[in-house]
Amino acid sequence: MAIRAFLIVLSCLAAATCRGATFSSLQQTLIVTASPQPAQVLKAGEDEITVTWSLNSTFPAGVDSSYKTVTIKLCYAPISQKYRGWRKTVDNLVKDKTCQHKIVANKPYISSSSNNTFTSTVLRDVPTATYFIRAYAQNSEGDEVAYGQTTDSHKAVNLFEIQAITGRHVSLDIASICFSAFSILSLFGFFFLEKRKSKASESK
Amino acid sequence: MENVPAFSATEESGRKKFALPVDSEHKATEFRLFSVAAPHMRAFHLSWISFFACFVSTFAAPPLLPIIRDDLDLTATEIGNAGIAAVSGAVFARVAMGSACDLFGPRLASAALTLLTAPAVYCSSIASGPSTFLIVRFFTGFSLATFVSTQFWMSSLFSAPVVGTANGVAGGWGNLGGGATQLIMPLGFELILKMGSDKFTAWRIAFFIPGLFQMLCAYGIFFLGQDLPDGNYAQLHKSGDKHKDKFSKVLYHAVTNYRGWILALTYGYCFGVELAIDNIIAQYFYDRFNVSLHTAGIIAASFGLANFFSRPGGGMLSDIVARRYGMRGRLWALWSVQTLGGIFCIILGKVGTLGVSVAVMLIFSVFVQAACGLTFGVVPFVSRRSLGIISGMTGAGGNVGAVITQVIFFRGSRYTTEKGIMLMGVMIIACTSVITLIHFPQWGGMFTKPSKGITEEDYYLSEWTEAEKEKGFHKASLKFSENSRHEGGRRVGITESPDTHK
Repeated sequence: MAIRAFLIVLSCLAAATCRGATFSSLQQTLIVTASPQPAQVLKAGEDEITVTWSLNSTFPAGVDSSYKTVTIKLCYAPISQKYRGWRKTVDNLVKDKTCQHKIVANKPYISSSSNNTFTSTVLRDVPTATYFIRAYAQNSEGDEVAYGQTTDSHKAVNLFEIQAITGRHVSLDIASICFSAFSILSLFGFFFLEKRKSKASESK
Repeated sequence: MENVPAFSATEESGRKKFALPVDSEHKATEFRLFSVAAPHMRAFHLSWISFFACFVSTFAAPPLLPIIRDDLDLTATEIGNAGIAAVSGAVFARVAMGSACDLFGPRLASAALTLLTAPAVYCSSIASGPSTFLIVRFFTGFSLATFVSTQFWMSSLFSAPVVGTANGVAGGWGNLGGGATQLIMPLGFELILKMGSDKFTAWRIAFFIPGLFQMLCAYGIFFLGQDLPDGNYAQLHKSGDKHKDKFSKVLYHAVTNYRGWILALTYGYCFGVELAIDNIIAQYFYDRFNVSLHTAGIIAASFGLANFFSRPGGGMLSDIVARRYGMRGRLWALWSVQTLGGIFCIILGKVGTLGVSVAVMLIFSVFVQAACGLTFGVVPFVSRRSLGIISGMTGAGGNVGAVITQVIFFRGSRYTTEKGIMLMGVMIIACTSVITLIHFPQWGGMFTKPSKGITEEDYYLSEWTEAEKEKGFHKASLKFSENSRHEGGRRVGITESPDTHK
């Protein structure tokens, strides 16, 4: 088990040093729009998001020659990153934690189509936070080469919220309370039994 | 004029009645790990397993934090505060537990506490935000007071030559829970997830695992355990065999014994440091060396799992040096091991590569945990009348150390985590130096010789007044004085071996 852990550690180190793509090196060549309105609150597991992406035609033709797949993610807005270091924005894309939830994963990139659309329900493990949407274009190795996002470079406009599922169920609440009550009752039972035993030994 | 008790063994049949060899107090003089014979070894296994369960419950949240912090929308400060709350609850609970053991016996005291804190574990499932999360972690942390009942119980059932070992193994294997939970909870979570739950529900269901475990342990202790070799407190009180002491007297003799306070301080810098590390080490490796959360969890677990041998090793080392050098040897061993722990802590804060850091962390864990074992090789001898409260004070000191250390070094952004670890090492060395001030009149201290003409009886019987002695309340202390004679070292002890045939 120690050896396995050591190998995992080694491979993580290797991965970190091999892929050094940074966000600042990416070109913003994609235009991304999404269905959520600014300040709209979506419910996880219920509401749907429709994302549309296309190549920005102001860029010279051929800029997308290396784009093979597209991945679209939900990304945390700065207000949801505050005081939460595990969502920090870092330039090195391998270490960047801004976008942790995938909406579309590795969909083939079709350059001729100008209106790529995808609709999906917000997954049930998305936490309550403020988000924007970003699309990454990837090359054949899977490395990011370009991006587009629904907000501006300061990540200040066009943000929407998602309300997570609570994870609590009535059955869980009842089970917790029943087991807790059972514990306390057992304790009283113990004291009662103990008193009875000691009375018995006194009368012997 | 005494009742003939129905449950005590007469001295002549002492050997026949117990599976292990015993001394005049019927405490076992041997420690047989693979036996479950009642009452000694059975109590040992019951107490370390239930203490293990309490550790699993108290540190059940940290490995699942990546899920919990998203579900409850926690900030870094709220997580830090909950971590501090988890270890601060036990500060007063440990002292209270010490008194409860002195008055009601470790069996009832630990079963009661384990059952009282199980609701906090169950209710972790219904936590809905940062404040409810902090509250359940706070009350769950009270269960760490079962440490005191464990040490008290071992000190009541095992004789001086093996008490350090018994305390060390029981304490160490209980502390294992802090490491095991980093593996148990994620495993439970994954299994529940596979059965079709959402992430935000699965972590809630997972908390029933430690809750049920705790409840089962309480039942085991109540029905299978026994306070003393001769019976349970309630029966012995009624039969007149054991005098029911007054809380005010027990408390007075505990707080006026300066050695208890010194050990409380130094325990804060071995056990307290261990608790602080349990809370921060996974994040440290995750953030500084960019390993995955899974790997960080394995590294964090290995810190706690070293307790399997390091704390018992400390207890055994205490007993081994005591055979030759008595109490003075125990004190020297404690000071040196804990100071070395501090030195390795400073080194841990300084190293910058992953492999070396893990290696130094493992060495550091061995020394710091062995120091915990060594501390409880000394504690049983500080007081006989107030053993419970002294154990409780020392244990509470451990938690105070954890709170202070986390508040000064690991909260907010004043120090980077590595600087905090280095400074913590400096504080360990500084606070450990007060061990040099401990002096037992009958045995001496690190730099002091035993005071002339003072015997073990003088020290332990000084806790009883003449009136109490006339009523015969001090008998247990008298027996203990005899049995602890070899703490004077080889030149004194061997010829006066424990007497089982008087």
